[in-house]
Amino acid sequence: MPHTLDRRRLLATAALGGVVGATGLGSLAPEAAFAAEAAAVEPGAPDPNFVEGRISKISGHLLLVTGSDTVLHSIRVTDGTSIWKLHPSTFDQVAVGDGLYARGVRLPDGTLAADSVWVNIVNLHAHIAAVGRNVLHLDHMGRRIVAHVVPGRSAAVYNGTPAVSDLSLLKVGRHVQVLGAWHPDTNEIDIATVYAAA
Amino acid sequence: MAALRGEMSWFCCGNAWGPCGSTGHGACGTCNSGNYQHAWPNTSDACYAITHPDTCGLGMSRRGCGFRHYTTNLCNGARVGTTIADCGPQTDLFCGETTCCGSACGSNRIIDLTPAAFSAIASLSVGLRPCSVDIV
Repeated sequence: MPHTLDRRRLLATAALGGVVGATGLGSLAPEAAFAAEAAAVEPGAPDPNFVEGRISKISGHLLLVTGSDTVLHSIRVTDGTSIWKLHPSTFDQVAVGDGLYARGVRLPDGTLAADSVWVNIVNLHAHIAAVGRNVLHLDHMGRRIVAHVVPGRSAAVYNGTPAVSDLSLLKVGRHVQVLGAWHPDTNEIDIATVYAAA
Repeated sequence: MAALRGEMSWFCCGNAWGPCGSTGHGACGTCNSGNYQHAWPNTSDACYAITHPDTCGLGMSRRGCGFRHYTTNLCNGARVGTTIADCGPQTDLFCGETTCCGSACGSNRIIDLTPAAFSAIASLSVGLRPCSVDIV
């Protein structure tokens, strides 16, 4: 897959200090980018090109991350790295204490040159326990989650219909899937999209 | 056997930060967000009693922990192989829900992938994608 090799070579070059701008990697649409990824990992096995954990230190464009299994990781963010933090975002919005998932390619020193970083992203299945002004109180596995509606960002998808900004049809007792961004060290999130059952 | 067509999403499991911290290692006791694994709605009688894909008209075979499935993202053709590590998704709660990329559509939730597996074929930020699931 020459396209894949080209992309991975670009990432590694960028991480190692090569002259690669955002436009050099950013020309791929998101779906095309994921289609281009090689997946040579055995089913059931850990993916060496994937990292999860919390940011313990930021040094230049290097994120030092402590995995939830306590393994330490270094993640190199390049001009071509796609960053999501509730919105498509930028490196300056990333902070110590944030949780993340990252995907990229391993450099010879073990650093992950990140293709994509999803910061504080959560995808929760829950029931709506209460509805307030610009807030949903969710019951998630027996724990309460406070989910904030972010004007201009939060959207609802009602049983597969196109996303709309009107969340008023969400009712107490309904089952929902909520994609959003966690507020570190709290039980609160900001809502990106709520998927509501019929 | 023909591929099963439907919707895929993702879920976290194992050691994790934030609200995922309470999820545990899944029904099989092996689930980790960083592994190529998935949840399947018919891993046991107890699982099926929760997920009830039959309510949506789906006949989904009984398959146990460790069984391999191959999921294709219908938006881009990317494919990932994973093993069963948990029970889910709760298919009956979203009966009839349809997700499309242009003319490529999938109805009803048939599989949840771990973040590592989902992110190998789609962005985590999309949450839901049409897919097909096969055993080879």
